[in-house]
Amino acid sequence: MGDQNNLVYIGSNYFRQRLVLATLSGKSVKIKQIRNRDDNPGLKEFEASLIRLLDKITNGSKIVVSVTGTSIHYQPGLLLGGQIEHDCSQERGIGYYLEALICLAPFCKRPLHVTLRGITNNQQDPSVDMIKLSTLPVLKRFLGTDDGLDLKVSKRGASPDGGGEIVFTCPCRQKLRPLLFTDPGKVKRIRGIAWCVRVSPAIANRLVDSARSILNQFLPDIYIYTDHEKGIRSGRSPGFGLTLVAETTNGAFLAAEAVSNPKGSEKGPSVPEDLGKEAACQLMEEIYRGGCVDSNSQSTVAVLMVLGQQDVSKVQLGQLSPYTIQYLRHIKDFLQVIFKVDVQTREEEDLRLGGDKLLLTCVGVGYSNVSKPIS
Amino acid sequence: MEGDTKKAHRQKQAGPKAEKKKVKKKHEQELTPQQRNPKAFAIQHARKTLRIVQRNQDLKTKKQHIPLVDRTPVEEPPIVVGVVGPPKVGKTTLLKCVVKNFTRQKLSKIQGPVTVVSGKSRRLTLIECNNDINAMIDVAKIADLVLMLVDASFGFEMETFEFLNICQVHGFPRIMGVLTHLDSFKDNKQMRKTKKRLKHRFWTEVYQGAKLFYLSGMVNGEYQKTEVHNLCRFISVMKFRPLQWRITHPYVVADRMEDITDPELVRINPKCDRKVSLYGYVRGTHLKNNIEIHIPGCGDFKINDMQFLSDPCPTPDREKRRSLNAKERLIYSPMSGVGGIVYDKDAVYIDLGGSHSHKETEDSKPANQFVSSLLSMTNPIDEKITRSEVSLFSHSAPPTDCYADDRSEEDAGPNVQSSEVKLQRRAVFGDSDDEKMENESDDESDERQSISDQAEESDEGIQMDFEPPQKKKRTKKNTVDKENELPFADSDDDLEKDVQLFSSQTHDRIRGESQQVKTRSDFKEQVSSEEKEEEEEVNSEDGSSEGEEEVNSEEGENEEDVVVEEYVQNSDGNEVSKVFNSDDSNDSTDDEKMEDFVSSKAKSKQNGEKTKQRNLKDHNTEEIISMSDKHVDPNKKKINVSHQSLFQSVDAYEEDINSEENLDSDDDNEDESDSEERMEEDREEDGDFDQGDDMEEDLEDDAEEGHLKWKSNLTEMAAESFRRRQRERINYRKLIYGQGDEEEKKKEQDEEEDAELGGLFRVLMNKSEKNRMDRGAVGDPNGTDCSLFPVDKVRNWQLEDVQDLIKDCFVTGKWDSSEDARARLQDDDEQYGDFENLETGEIHKASTAETGDLMGEEDMEDSEVEEEETKDGDTKEENIEKKKKKEMTAGERRLEKKRKLKEMFDQVYDMKGDTEFYDNWKAEAEEQARLNKAEFENLADDIRVQYEGFRPGMYVRVEVNTVPCEFVTNFDPTYPVILGGLLNNEGNVGYVQTRLKKHRWHKRILKTKNPVVISLGWRRFQTLPLYSIQDHNLRNRLLKYTPEHLHCHASFWGPITPQGTGLLAVECVAGTTQNFRIAATGVVLELDKSMQILKKLRLTGTPLKIYRKTAFIQGMFNSALEVAKFEGANIRTVSGIRGQIKKAIKSPEGAFRATFEDKILLSDIVFVRTWYPVEVPAFYNPVTTLLLPPKEKTAWMGMKTTGQLRRERGMKFEQKKDSVYKPIERTGRKFTPLVIPKDLQKVLPFKDTPKFLKPRKDPIKRVVVVREPHEAKVAKLMHMVKTMHEHKRKMEKMQMIERATKHQKEMEKINARKSEKQKEVKKQIFRVLGQMEKKKKKHVAD
Repeated sequence: MGDQNNLVYIGSNYFRQRLVLATLSGKSVKIKQIRNRDDNPGLKEFEASLIRLLDKITNGSKIVVSVTGTSIHYQPGLLLGGQIEHDCSQERGIGYYLEALICLAPFCKRPLHVTLRGITNNQQDPSVDMIKLSTLPVLKRFLGTDDGLDLKVSKRGASPDGGGEIVFTCPCRQKLRPLLFTDPGKVKRIRGIAWCVRVSPAIANRLVDSARSILNQFLPDIYIYTDHEKGIRSGRSPGFGLTLVAETTNGAFLAAEAVSNPKGSEKGPSVPEDLGKEAACQLMEEIYRGGCVDSNSQSTVAVLMVLGQQDVSKVQLGQLSPYTIQYLRHIKDFLQVIFKVDVQTREEEDLRLGGDKLLLTCVGVGYSNVSKPIS
Repeated sequence: MEGDTKKAHRQKQAGPKAEKKKVKKKHEQELTPQQRNPKAFAIQHARKTLRIVQRNQDLKTKKQHIPLVDRTPVEEPPIVVGVVGPPKVGKTTLLKCVVKNFTRQKLSKIQGPVTVVSGKSRRLTLIECNNDINAMIDVAKIADLVLMLVDASFGFEMETFEFLNICQVHGFPRIMGVLTHLDSFKDNKQMRKTKKRLKHRFWTEVYQGAKLFYLSGMVNGEYQKTEVHNLCRFISVMKFRPLQWRITHPYVVADRMEDITDPELVRINPKCDRKVSLYGYVRGTHLKNNIEIHIPGCGDFKINDMQFLSDPCPTPDREKRRSLNAKERLIYSPMSGVGGIVYDKDAVYIDLGGSHSHKETEDSKPANQFVSSLLSMTNPIDEKITRSEVSLFSHSAPPTDCYADDRSEEDAGPNVQSSEVKLQRRAVFGDSDDEKMENESDDESDERQSISDQAEESDEGIQMDFEPPQKKKRTKKNTVDKENELPFADSDDDLEKDVQLFSSQTHDRIRGESQQVKTRSDFKEQVSSEEKEEEEEVNSEDGSSEGEEEVNSEEGENEEDVVVEEYVQNSDGNEVSKVFNSDDSNDSTDDEKMEDFVSSKAKSKQNGEKTKQRNLKDHNTEEIISMSDKHVDPNKKKINVSHQSLFQSVDAYEEDINSEENLDSDDDNEDESDSEERMEEDREEDGDFDQGDDMEEDLEDDAEEGHLKWKSNLTEMAAESFRRRQRERINYRKLIYGQGDEEEKKKEQDEEEDAELGGLFRVLMNKSEKNRMDRGAVGDPNGTDCSLFPVDKVRNWQLEDVQDLIKDCFVTGKWDSSEDARARLQDDDEQYGDFENLETGEIHKASTAETGDLMGEEDMEDSEVEEEETKDGDTKEENIEKKKKKEMTAGERRLEKKRKLKEMFDQVYDMKGDTEFYDNWKAEAEEQARLNKAEFENLADDIRVQYEGFRPGMYVRVEVNTVPCEFVTNFDPTYPVILGGLLNNEGNVGYVQTRLKKHRWHKRILKTKNPVVISLGWRRFQTLPLYSIQDHNLRNRLLKYTPEHLHCHASFWGPITPQGTGLLAVECVAGTTQNFRIAATGVVLELDKSMQILKKLRLTGTPLKIYRKTAFIQGMFNSALEVAKFEGANIRTVSGIRGQIKKAIKSPEGAFRATFEDKILLSDIVFVRTWYPVEVPAFYNPVTTLLLPPKEKTAWMGMKTTGQLRRERGMKFEQKKDSVYKPIERTGRKFTPLVIPKDLQKVLPFKDTPKFLKPRKDPIKRVVVVREPHEAKVAKLMHMVKTMHEHKRKMEKMQMIERATKHQKEMEKINARKSEKQKEVKKQIFRVLGQMEKKKKKHVAD
């Protein structure tokens, strides 16, 4: 036992996927040659932080990192959940950790209640707002209800110094429901959050105005909240940004965002008007890609579909992101499931619905939560 | 009075009058009793009514089950029928009878599962369960139906109950009881009574009314035909309910096992790990390739490879016939020798019926000692030479290394090649296996045999290396293949593969080798792939050519000439693919003609357009001709060259066609290169287009309907294919999963291993990295791990054109016609707009135009109607109707609208009865089941298998590596071999917490940490459970023994198994005992990687010194440090005085100060209650019964208890002195006398003073009796008489004893003589019996 389950990978890329899937499938994984030719070889701080987080939410995991840090052996334990606090690395946003947690949370022993501290919004990772607006609605479909599913931004922290804090709670389930979501419907409203910390509150309004200038050409039902944090709730660095989400008639959420350059970046300070327009354009691009799930949540959806019962799950997506594609490959390695990917044929050619839509179909592996106790 | 007597009126029953009346008195609907007499049905007793309603609801709800998604496959796997019972009860006889009933075939010896067709859509797999508890457990896990045999003359035996309890734990399958040995009852009444008694006992165990069959007696060693027939009928209509474990886990009951290890490896090391292939139907749920499986009794393995084969025992076609004909009564039992063929572990035997029993003679052994020594050599001489070291000079290293290196490199070549060969084989399993079966079945001639051998070899990947000449040939061929491959090594074109195949084909033919079968199978693949391609391209000739080729491939050796001829013939037709198809078309001229006709047609059609490419094509044909010339001489090199040219020509041709179709050639090339994937997609597409029709059928249709079809719409088809390709420019399957994914992975792994060897292999590493890069633009392995998907170039969304791209994504945009509100309203009107006014009899029709979804439009519309009226006034009626409508519009239309609204509202908000929730749930489950069935229905099996795994009902071959050799050497078909699929995480081990109860029939309670064998999930394993019980504060308190009649928790180290799975514990699986063996049953509650179980520990001490409420206590701890740890802990005396530990004192060591709520006594014992965590021992030992030799199969021991070990070694347990119970001595208490001081006495009143009286003297004094002389005389006489009598009695008694002993002795003598005689008689009888048995045995042996 155990030996046959070893999977070997090379390189630090897709580190998260491998660890998450290893934890879910119970297979141990070995990752070698992590930045072995870098000036700064081995695991970076944010990866070490992820490992620490995984160690916190699992029980009985064995993690062996080589002396140089260029190889790691991970033998997963069982998911524990419960109350957890974690200080995330400043190198990456909280979104980096949150995305991993979202896949694991439904399969914990106890409902997960995690407090993450670090950077809530940065340019590199999906912000917590975006995850809240786009990924959680999808997770809700798998859980059945959103009872106990919550993501609260209690402090906002922009890069580079962070200081943000979020509380993520998620109920645990014995089984997930299959997903059948092939028709997103049409965008009926656009909502958004324009946030700014440690800058003038007017910036938020400027963001909103500029974004509206584009969005209004498509839809009248637009409302963008402004969120200006003060004092301890505003983190340690200045920053601002805009997260937009388009909601469709069938309950699909497509989100996009734009975040200001961090303090001291080479690109110089961002202009709110440009940023607002950028966010709006990004949203339009997201709508162009379309699908029932936006590009950030694709991978999460794919994983949760596979982890369902032995039923067919079907979802419509826009163009697949490289990250998702790699995720699908890893899913094949870890869970032996292949997705059927078809280009959706349109009945009426004359509708202008943006880019090609894909239909992803898979059969769940019959995954059940082995951690959750029964009485 | 006569006038009074009137005839009573009699109503007419018939005739016209009666008829008239009947018409008049039309039957009116009768009133229901409720309507007639409403009072009687009014609620009179509210309470009672309430109860009735409640009860009705209860009954209703009881009937409801939680809706489950129906996952039963369309074609179900055979139903597993286990025949179970204690020994000598008639299991084998019944099994034979059942088989005979279904197949009209008598099996001489049944080994392993027997699959028979029992009906039009049902098959049965019959398994006999032997009397081993291991086998019983395994059978209970897989059987869908259990035939439980009971010897009625004896009654129920332990095995029966044990098996029933095993079944209860592992999901209760259907159980049917069968009473046998009923003929041994002489008395009919007695039999009836027994039957009834057994039936009721059986019912309490299974369920009330469980079916129990009676087999009354034997006729010619078989059960009565009618009774068996009845039983079989019951079996074949039995319905089953899904069992939780089995619908979530895939499993295969292996009915055939084959050892496919390289015989050379086995020869070198007979104990090497084996590679084994197992065959059976997939059951339960979808079985995926490469998952982990558990073979109960053997261990955990990973599926190395897996293929589906054609069903060896298919259900007959679904025709409307009642019974099966003889052809359809199939039986499949590879290990039992059906049809004279026995599949053994590593060979196939042909049963010759005994007369030619093959004996091992001297000939079979190698005659020469030298030869035998060669055979037994472990490594060949050349290897020995390389290994031997000869140093040339005294201090130099032996010069062997370089040579060895060279060799190893050389070796590497063919190795890789062999894997290549294997890979090619893999793709053909679908068809080739049929052939294999055929080949195996007909074994007439040697030639055939050799062919089949080869086929098998090539199919199964058995490396038959022990035949040197063959091996040589093979390697030769391989090298040729390799050479062929080299020029095209960079691309993975399917066509190219065809070319390869083609080459090997021709090559073989030239060599005169009869590799017919192999080529055939290869060819089929080629044909199929080709076909698909062709269809894609032009959709023409393939259909016609397909049939031909099949004929061809079966044709024999004289093809070579034909080939050449063909080439020459076809050289004028300028289509390479044509040549390709007809490369070995035979002499059936009709077909040729047809083909020529087709090609010429095609040519004529295409000629007009492609004058441009003429030259090129001519060139091609030239090449082909040259090639055909070269074909005649068997020179490999030249063939190679020709192949190259051929390939080029093929390529060129394709490009031509592509350019014809106005395609970007580069795009197309890309497409072409992944022809395999495209092929699949095409199939999918086709599935979409013609809804369920199989691809093959299509092709056949094409072939049948003729070749004229293709040309009718050539251009449209070209356009269509172009459009399709445009749409699917990205092949997502290839993009995501790569092409030869597995091969690549293997290669990568190899390379990685290389890399692990040292830092020297950097070049290889780079290659693998490059590979990764090629697999799809993923980025470098050390890139940033980010899920964001940034847009390459953000469009300017303020431009009108750009905005137009997504205009319809918004609610403000245009809607689909199915969703568009306007269109739907119109639809509604068309559908529901017409209605008939029942009162007036008018018919209203919907107007074709929009009938006014807006009230404001009404007027306008009215005017329109008027206009129409004026326009065509000739159709008056219509106008009237319209007018009516118009009249209606004002009021009634509004009403109509309201009615519709109400309907809609009702639909959404009204309760549809009280079962609405349940109904919705059920509908959801049904919908999901439908989707599950429909989603992959139209795909070809080999692709479908990749998406959803091997679905239940498929017959598969599973290859497993690294199986212990004992599995093969000690294989016993009477033990079921199960491949139980494991889900994720189930391959891991951890702590399992279960709720467990000692079985009430098990004699002893179980002790913590004693080893027990647990059956959980698929597994049987030995482990050391800790028993505990949960206190109210959720603390798990350790128990030393299980409670007698209570549930407790058992925690052990074992495999992770989903919660809710049942388990059972057996103390020992070895041997048989009188007692009930199942020790406990339970269910899994929780799984974890750590477990906290606490043991209660009492530390005691004694007071050292006592002050008022403070005391110093000693003897509880050993050091001040220990005391410090327990400061503040609650302590208590035995008498119940509570207190607290305060602080350690200096001396004696370990003593401390404590305070109590009251003063304690020096004699009190003080104690503190503590909890000590206990470790669950990490001991997990799978029971490996399948690996044991047959004799030891029932004697698996595993870990023993200390008690067992002591008993075995005769060691006595040394009891501690303290533990020995001593008799309790309770001495009476002595109280000191109460002393009252003299002074006090003086003062006391008299009554209170102690009175000391002198003891009184005896008042009565004895007087001597003085008798009179006469009296004395009498007394003396009496005394004498008495003495005499006593003496006499004594003497009599002594005599009696003497007599009795004498008699006893005599009797003993007689008895001894008697028993001697009896012994002799018995001896004789047994001698005769023994002789008879010997004879019988001899007879059987013969």
